[in-house]
Amino acid sequence: MLALQLLCNGIVTGCALGVVAVSFSFVYATTKIFHVAHAGVYTLGGYVAWSMLGHGFPTAVAVLTAIAAATALGALIQGLLYARLERRKATHLVVLIASLGTLAVIQNILAAVYTADILRFNLPWGAEVFRVAGNVRLTMTQLLTVVVSLVAYGGVMWFSNGTILGKQIRAVASNPFLAEITRLQPRRVHIYVMAIASALVCLPGILVPMDFGLQPYNGITPLLTATIAMIAGGVGSITGAFVLAIVITELQNMSLLFIPGEWSIGVTFFIFVIFMLFRPTGLFAAAR
Amino acid sequence: MVLSLKGLEAGYGAKTVISGVSFTLEPGQILAFLGHNGAGKTTTLKAIIGMLRPSRGEVLFDGHRIDRLSVADRVALGLRLLPEGRGIFPDLSVAENIDVVAARNVTAGAMFGIPDVYKLFPVLEERRTTRAGSMSGGQQQMLALSLAILGTPRCLMLDEPSIGLAPNLVERMFQQVREVCKSHAMTAVLVEQNVAAAMKIADRVIIMNNGQIVFDGGPDEARASNFWHYF
Repeated sequence: MLALQLLCNGIVTGCALGVVAVSFSFVYATTKIFHVAHAGVYTLGGYVAWSMLGHGFPTAVAVLTAIAAATALGALIQGLLYARLERRKATHLVVLIASLGTLAVIQNILAAVYTADILRFNLPWGAEVFRVAGNVRLTMTQLLTVVVSLVAYGGVMWFSNGTILGKQIRAVASNPFLAEITRLQPRRVHIYVMAIASALVCLPGILVPMDFGLQPYNGITPLLTATIAMIAGGVGSITGAFVLAIVITELQNMSLLFIPGEWSIGVTFFIFVIFMLFRPTGLFAAAR
Repeated sequence: MVLSLKGLEAGYGAKTVISGVSFTLEPGQILAFLGHNGAGKTTTLKAIIGMLRPSRGEVLFDGHRIDRLSVADRVALGLRLLPEGRGIFPDLSVAENIDVVAARNVTAGAMFGIPDVYKLFPVLEERRTTRAGSMSGGQQQMLALSLAILGTPRCLMLDEPSIGLAPNLVERMFQQVREVCKSHAMTAVLVEQNVAAAMKIADRVIIMNNGQIVFDGGPDEARASNFWHYF
């Protein structure tokens, strides 16, 4: 029974982290920026939603405001920081450090405003418990997490393959130089990508803390799993990132049956090393 | 005149690669732009398209100075570049390649719309759903040429288009370039290592050496002169 419950919990968290991985991969594949500050955008979304709910706004308004704030933050990071660094021909390392710095600033501001204590969402409907099978229970928040994540994944797939802007983004990722001389406006596309990815990451950024609570430094572990999922899934593959995030989270969760929880990060990296040894380009790289 | 360079000087950092480059091209004219590696041909193309800011001199298009315009603005005027070895979006399907470029470059009354490039290269229509990067070199180059001419190109610059292609393919592709140029009064600048093939379709030959123009004349004149001496 415990195994089944862990399996279900793994799917819930895995789906949420899948969206983090998809959004991170979306940024990396297009801009080649290792956007660590994405963890900060993820965290900010949760705090904005928490504040709005605390001030008595309806859930929908709180969520939309959080998404708007995250989107704006992502676009600003691209427009004011990364784009300027790119114009000055900064190396990947410089951009990575700038991103780490941005993350630290976001985290510190959040800690200064909201303290570093764990904040809990007070949503009676979210705690409503459903029996899924036998004694396996999932809360409303958890069910919502799965549904929202699957819809987000499907939405990105449709956007990426079915819309002209989605194709334009893939074109910029595929050959930035040609994109420039065919007027695909790679710089503007990068801002769109960052805005879209930030809006996306805001969804798990709200849903996960509804279960586990909010802390300024919460974004790091999801981002770590997302990074590994992106690389193991094959950079550029949306499905690869999403599926691998679920697989890794499942393996982490199931490992709890055999070894204590504090080893789960170790398990994640062990899986990563195995993947890199046997499939260095990623599981879904060929299917791109 | 379509394109005109006046005393162009450009380089990288403190290093000047080309200097005093001047020529004027008329509509429909095909220029074979020759010279050994490092002679400054690609640097000249970069300065024309706007990827490199000239330190001196002027670039004129239809009589207007364009050397301060962005790359995108120059492309919008009809200046096009088929870059060496990377003229396609390899991860997209053939149709997606054509669709994204058409969406930004084909306007009402454009010279080449989507049906026109499919008519020009029927094989691309057959391979619409194929991932562009998985096609043969010849087909990839047909796609690259299609992307370069979508919209209303007035002057097309081709940077080593024959690299990696079988000789018979090169000849066929060059003939196609010539037909397109002549039927649409489109100017072409052909940078090539395959001198013989380039000379066959060219109306004019310019040879660069050490960043400067050392020969400028017709292909017959070039053949009659001590041609290889200029390389």
